[in-house]
Formats: sequence, C-alpha cells, structure tokens
Amino acid sequence: MDWTYIQGILMLAGINLISVLGLSLLTGFTGLFSFGHAGFMAIGAYIGALMTVSPSTTPAGLGLPFFVGIIAGGAAAGIVSYFIGRITLSLKGDYFCIATLGFGEATRLLLNNVQIFGGSRGWPGVPYKSTLPVIVLVDVVAVLFLANLIKSRHGRNMIAVREEELAAQVSGIDVFKYKMTALIISAVYAGVAGVFFGHYMTFIQPKMFSMTKSTELTIIVIFGGLGSISGSVLGAVLLTALPEILRAFEIWRLVFYGAAVILIMISRPKGLMGGMELTPSGIRKAQLERKARLEARAEARRLNGLEDGSADEGRGA
Amino acid sequence: MTQFFQQVINGLSIGSVYALMAVGYSLVYSIMNFSNFAHGGVIMLGAYFGFFSLTLLHLPFLAAFLLASIGTTILAIVVERIAYKPLRERKAPFLYFIISAMGASILLENIVIATIGPTFRTYPEVFARTPISIGPLAIGRLDLLMFVISAVCLTALILFIEKTKMGKAIQAAAYNIKACALMGINTDKVILIVFGLGGFLAGVAGVFFGMKYTVYPQIGNITTKSFIAAVFGGLGSLPGAVLGSVILGILETFVAGYLSSQYRDLIAFVILIGVLIIRPSGIMGKNTEDKA
Amino acid sequence: MKRALFVLVLVLSIALVGCAGSAKSDTIKVGWFGALTGDQAVWGENEFNTVKMLFEEYNNAGGIEVGGKKYKLEAIGYDNKGDAQEAVNVVKRLTGQDKVVAILGPNASGNAIPIAPVLEQAKVPDIATVATNPKVTVLDGKVKPYNFRVCFIDPYQGAVAAGYAYDRLNDSKAAILYDVSDDYSQGLREFFKANFEKKGGTIVADESFNGGDVDFRPQLSKIKAANPDIIFMPYFFKEVALSANQARELGIKTTLMGGDGWPSDQLISMGGKSVEGSYFVNHLDYADPAVQDYKARYKAKYGKETELNGYLVHDAVLLLVAGLQKAGKVNGEALAKALEGIQVQGITGMINISPETHNPEGKDAAIIKIVDGQYVFQEKYAAK
Repeated sequence: MDWTYIQGILMLAGINLISVLGLSLLTGFTGLFSFGHAGFMAIGAYIGALMTVSPSTTPAGLGLPFFVGIIAGGAAAGIVSYFIGRITLSLKGDYFCIATLGFGEATRLLLNNVQIFGGSRGWPGVPYKSTLPVIVLVDVVAVLFLANLIKSRHGRNMIAVREEELAAQVSGIDVFKYKMTALIISAVYAGVAGVFFGHYMTFIQPKMFSMTKSTELTIIVIFGGLGSISGSVLGAVLLTALPEILRAFEIWRLVFYGAAVILIMISRPKGLMGGMELTPSGIRKAQLERKARLEARAEARRLNGLEDGSADEGRGA
Repeated sequence: MTQFFQQVINGLSIGSVYALMAVGYSLVYSIMNFSNFAHGGVIMLGAYFGFFSLTLLHLPFLAAFLLASIGTTILAIVVERIAYKPLRERKAPFLYFIISAMGASILLENIVIATIGPTFRTYPEVFARTPISIGPLAIGRLDLLMFVISAVCLTALILFIEKTKMGKAIQAAAYNIKACALMGINTDKVILIVFGLGGFLAGVAGVFFGMKYTVYPQIGNITTKSFIAAVFGGLGSLPGAVLGSVILGILETFVAGYLSSQYRDLIAFVILIGVLIIRPSGIMGKNTEDKA
Repeated sequence: MKRALFVLVLVLSIALVGCAGSAKSDTIKVGWFGALTGDQAVWGENEFNTVKMLFEEYNNAGGIEVGGKKYKLEAIGYDNKGDAQEAVNVVKRLTGQDKVVAILGPNASGNAIPIAPVLEQAKVPDIATVATNPKVTVLDGKVKPYNFRVCFIDPYQGAVAAGYAYDRLNDSKAAILYDVSDDYSQGLREFFKANFEKKGGTIVADESFNGGDVDFRPQLSKIKAANPDIIFMPYFFKEVALSANQARELGIKTTLMGGDGWPSDQLISMGGKSVEGSYFVNHLDYADPAVQDYKARYKAKYGKETELNGYLVHDAVLLLVAGLQKAGKVNGEALAKALEGIQVQGITGMINISPETHNPEGKDAAIIKIVDGQYVFQEKYAAK
C-alpha cells in the first residue's frame, strides 16, 4: 500500500473522529439526537477558511496562521450552538431532531447564497494545512478532554440526563445546563473538524455539509457504541477505512450500513463498544461483567430446564 | 391577481402531496411516539411497485394503484416487525427507535439502488398533461385527482378511527398505550393495523408521486418536507398533519412567489423553528411527556 | 466481541495484501473516475465504457507506441458518487497505489477542483471531461500545472447562450430558473445574466430552486407573470424535464433554453412534448460526420446510445495518447509538459490546449434544437 493513500485515509478518519467524539458526547452520553452537526462543521470550515485564505485569492480572506483558523472555527461553531441551544433545547424528542435538521439545512442553504464564499460554486484556494501529526495531536487532546469530562461529576450528570431526564431533574441536576454544555462542546468539536476538513480538501462547498454528512456521523457513533469513547475512536477509524477497502462492493456498502444499524439496535444497542472502554480498568470491568452474565445465564438455563426445558436466549447486554 | 390565485392553487396542490405523506408519519407517531423515518423508503417503493405494475404487468391504472398500496401495506408491516417490534418488546428508549428507523430508511433506499439501479423511470402517461383552464388559471388534471383521492383517503381514515371499534382502540392507544394493554386491548394488533394503514397511504402517495415527479431511489427524501409539515401541525395529530401540510405548501409557494425563491427553504425553516418556540408541540400536537 | 475484532483485522490484512499487486512494465495504467451511482450515473457509466472500449481497440491493434516501445493501455476506474471528498480519496488511491500515469474525468467541476493538490504532489496530470468551471484549471490567475480539460468553460457557454438568445432568436426579455445548490447551475446563470444584460436584454425573473426539489410551479407561476421571451434553465435533464412539464401544465408556452446539462436520452423520454422546440448549447453536433464512427462503435459494443460525456472522454483519450507520444516516455510530469500547447483533431473539434489556461482554445459551441424528439443541430456559434 502506498503511504500517501493510507495517510489520506488516516487523516480523514482523524478528522471524522473529532466530530464523532463531539457527537458521541451529545448522543451517546447525553441522549440528544442531532441531524444538524454537518451545519456546525460547515461553520467551522468556512470561518476557518476565512481566517487562513490569503487575501489575494478571496478579498475576504485574512491570511492568518492555521491555528488561528482552528480556534476561530471552533469558537464560531460553539457560539452559534449556544444560540441554537437556547432556542431548541427545551424541545422534546423529535421536535429537537427536526429543529437541528432545520438548522443544518438552513446553514447549507444560506451558504449556497453567500457569494463572497462562492455560493454553491464552492470556495477553492483554501491552503493545504491539515497534516497527520497535527490531526493526531488534536485527536489525542480531544479524547483526553472528553474522557476527563465523562469521569467527572458533570459527565455522570450528563449520563443521568440520558437515562432518565425527569428523575435527573428531580434529583437536582440542571438538565438544561448539561444539555447545553454537551451541545456546545459537540459543536466546537464539529467546528474544529470542519476547519481541518476544509484545509485537507483545499476546497469547500456547501454540498459537502448536507444532511447525509450529519447522518453519517451519527451512524459512526452508533456503530462504535453509545456511551463509549473508545467505541467512537474505533468506529471512526473503521468506518472511514472500510469503504476504501471495500471499493469493489460499494453499491452494497450502504445496504450493509442500513442493515447493520437495525441489527445493532435490535440485538446489541450499545454498538461495538457500548458502555465499555479500552482502558485496563475498563477491560477488567467488562470481563467481570461478562463472567457475571455468563454465570447468570447458565443459572437461568438450569432453572428453566427444571421448569419446562425451554432455554431462555437471554437478551444480554 | 391571476398570479395570486395560481399560487394558491399551486400551494394547495403541493400541500396535498405533503399531507398524504405526513398523515402516515403522524399516525405512527400518535401510537409509538417516534418518527418513522422509514416511511419515505416505503413511499419510494410504492412508486416502484406502481411503476412496475403498469409497465411490466400491464395492469390497468386502478389495479396497479391497488397492487402498489397492498405492497406497501405489507412492506410497512414487515419493517415494523423487523426493526421496531424487538425494541418495543424490550421497552427500548425512543432514541433507539429513531436510529432503527434511520437504518431502515438507508437500507430501503440503497437496496433499490443496488438492485433496480439509480436511473430515473418515467410513468406511462395515464393522464393528459394539458391542464384544465379556468380563465387564465391552470389546474393540472393529476393534481385535481390527487387532491380528490387525498381527501377521500383522509376522510375514510378519520371515519375509520372515529367510528369503528378498531379505530377506538387506536385512539385509546394513542392516549395511553400502557393503560390500553392493561384494559385487555391487543396493542400488538393495534400497532400492526396502524403500520398497515400508514403503509397503505404510503402506497397511494408513492404512485401519485411517481406519476407526477418520475421514480428514482432518492424520491423518499422529499418526505423530509412532510416530516416538517407533520411537526408543524403537531406530531400525532391527523388533522394537525393535514393542516401543517397545507400551511407549509402555501407558505413555501408564497415565499417563492413573492419574497425570494433563493431563500425559500431558509425562510420556511425559520418560520418552523419560530412556531416550535411558541408552541413546542406544533399547532395541534398532543402535549405528551416524551418517552425517553 | 474479540472474535468480531479478529475478523475485522483479518479482512483488513487480506485487503491490504490483495491490493499489493505488481504492475506489468509494458502497460500504461490510466485512471478514470466519476459517478457510477447517483443522479449522474448515466454519464459516468458512459464515460468509463468509452474509455474501456477505446483502450481495448488500441490494445487489439497492438498497443500504442511511446518512445519507440509498444505499450498496452489499462484503465482503472472508480466511482466517487459525484462526491468531492470521495474524489480526493479516489485520486489518492489512483496516484498512490495504482500508480497511474494520468487520470481521465471527472465530469463535475466540484470534483475536479479539490483534486489539484493531490495531482501536483503526485505529478500526475488529469484531463477533465465536462467540468466547465473556470477554476478547474486556473486559480488566482495561475494555471494549475496538472489540470487539463477538453471542454469549453462556463463563461463561454453562458455567453453563447445569451448571445444566441438575444442576437439570433431576437429575445430581449429572459427569465432564469436555476438550481441554487448546484455549482454548475449557479455558474451558468451568472454568466448568462451578465452577458444577456450587456447585450441590452433584461432579466425579467431570476428564480431558483434547491437540489432535490421536484415542484417548480411557484417559481414558474412567477416567471409566467413576468412574461419573458425565453426561459433559461441551466441545470440537468431530470429537473429540466420536470420543470418543463410543469411549465407546460401552467400554460407557459415560452421557448426554453439550456446548457450542456440537457442532452440525454432520458430528457426526451421524461420531457416529451414539453421540451419540444427548445434550444440548448452543446459541445458538438450529434449529426456531425466526425462523430458517427464512434457512435456506431459504441452502440455495437454496449447495445445503447452513447451520451454526451462519451464524446468528450473520447477526445480526452485522443489527447492523452497524443500527449504520451509527444512526451516520448511514460511519465506523468513529462506528459503534463507535453500536453501544454498540444494540438489534436478530436471528434468534438480541434483541441488546442493553451499553455496559459490548459483549456482547449477556440472551440465552437453547437446550438441544438429539439424537433420531433430529435436533437437537431442548428449552427456552430461562437460568442463574441
């Protein structure tokens, strides 16, 4: 295999990972379902490009260093998400979904019409700045930050919101505040991912940030496992690389995705790594759980056998 | 002035397309409290069923229409059995239902791409393209028929729900499905019927869709609009879904016709979010605590 | 869980090993990419089929001679679904792993623009087929060293359409309906508008829709009220057919006009009588004697008619072969140098690659009218 090709895929996986991590916090840990994260990526990509593009290419470009672009892109997405959150976070379930969908599509539609950024014709000439070491570095920082957040009291509160919103509210957790925090962090992650994406492609177009992109990100989170950071990492790397490897079967790829999503939901809703982490303590915990489950199942089978002989399949996990 | 009335006609016609789809969404939502995203895929397959009944089996229009609707009825039930029933039995949170529905929608669309192919197919011309003219106004024959059939289907559906025993059970289940089960209503059967009805409507919508806009695998995406309409009107409420659809149809038409077609969807989305801020469960939505 | 991981690792390693095939030294590998799925699959399939057919013909004739040595041609094609990100992946794969000497395609500008840095890094030239955005080959006034194309560009196409409508059809009031979410459509609309207004015409309605829309009646009703002499519809055949049908349903009898997104067999089958009498700007005249041979060969091999893209990729192949022979060696960098200033007689006209823009200079556009469901050539028309 050729290194530039592998490197390209790794970079894409790394970029996807940044936004997947954010979405993992929102969907996997806090239980909010978003159809609009491509919108935050778009904001990051465009604001980031605005900072770094040289004024000779686009009059609006500022020609600033890349790190300024990263910060500005992430910050812009975060600020927008705050206002979106203020408006939509009090909506329930599907109403929140539709509101995020509306936001994502509205962002794309708006960009289609903004002629200084090229409208739907796109914006070429974004400098090529995304390099593998920088992406990996950002990934590591993103994972560490998220892992610490989840372990903290705040993280536990977020999980409580996901599990039983009403109960969490009753036990004194400020549900709105935690939802907002999760949304903002996930938006910042998506924005940063957008900046890297733009500086990887060197060309951005509103088309790239469609609802399909949002759905794709959510699917990666689901595959990896709701409520697992290592799952998201694994999911992002595998699902970015797999289609490249399976190019020959590509028309069946999405058929497989769809079927797998249903299968995961009905059989193993926690995904590849749901609720588990690939850390020494996480593995130990998982092993203990597995042992306990097997023992419980054996016990159940024995008892069932005594009663009517029909073994309970035991819907594990 | 002519343009104004023509735009009203356009809006109503677009609204009635949305309504046919939105009612299917809302019906399922009223019982299950989640948005059945697979509905778009079922509609798309309805369009294909109708197309193949007409072109391969050479059936007369009404027979093709019926066959397509029966096909989608079965399909909708199959989707329910495979993708949702295991979740229901496990009392999974609402998030899982949405994700499973999303998976079903991706699956249906891409199976069609992989097997039938991504090309566009045109329905044989069943109705003449020449419009009925009233002075300077033009009304498409197909639009008129669609408006009538939508109205018939929706009235029949509302009568069914209001007047029959099964309908009462559906109403009861929409009110509180757990209590229903306790009262001895077979909720599994209620859910089956609801998905079947939704599927039947999807077939009707699909065939009209195909005739009007040709058939291709991504046609189900247009249901995003009807989803929005259903939310607008209030998820779970059938009159709400119809009202939401008509409002959205007219709104879109007038924004495009009088404000700006460039920003049409943007303005529609902004108004939608505005409505949701003022009325978080839509115009006529039932105000339930969400299941999750 | 562990087993699942193990299987995945296994699959990955098999795939890695499987990919590492060795190249035979007497073949020239040429990449192609475009959409084989999605809205534009018809064209992608047509392009790739044409490339394969032509390569087969060269190979059956003993291959091509480069620098005194005979080579066979091998086409490696990938589907990028019309997606820009996939385009970058595919080009990385073609240049990095498959080690192609040159790449043919894509047909969409939005896919041809982002691949430039990859090409420059790998020193592999690309010849785009119908990517008509000026920025495909030139950015910031600088020509991109590895991007070439065989078609005319949007400003030219827009000028031709505007000029023909104003000067030949004597229309002074035009309406535009375009796809605001599509780069190609937005580009053509911009250049049509500018040129039509410069000529002294007025744009009486400038309306748009969003990709994926199927109902255009609100916009069309507005256009009808503006009473134009001609409606310019710069987008692809599916939407053209739908919007033309709806326009006729609304009683709009105005002549329609479009660009090179129109020609397709499906336009006639979907649009039928509604597109009758319409004009569009095309890259060639289908009845031109020069193209008949290719048309017949394609039909004989694949059992269906070729689409517009086939003609252009045909000329891209001619250009590639001529470039390789001029370069005298199988090397991407040398090929790119050789392509600059090269002159090749293609079936779509004389292709004269300008070293400053990498575009074929002075290629005339053909005006086609739809008469009785046939594409009837009107005249070669150059914008002034």
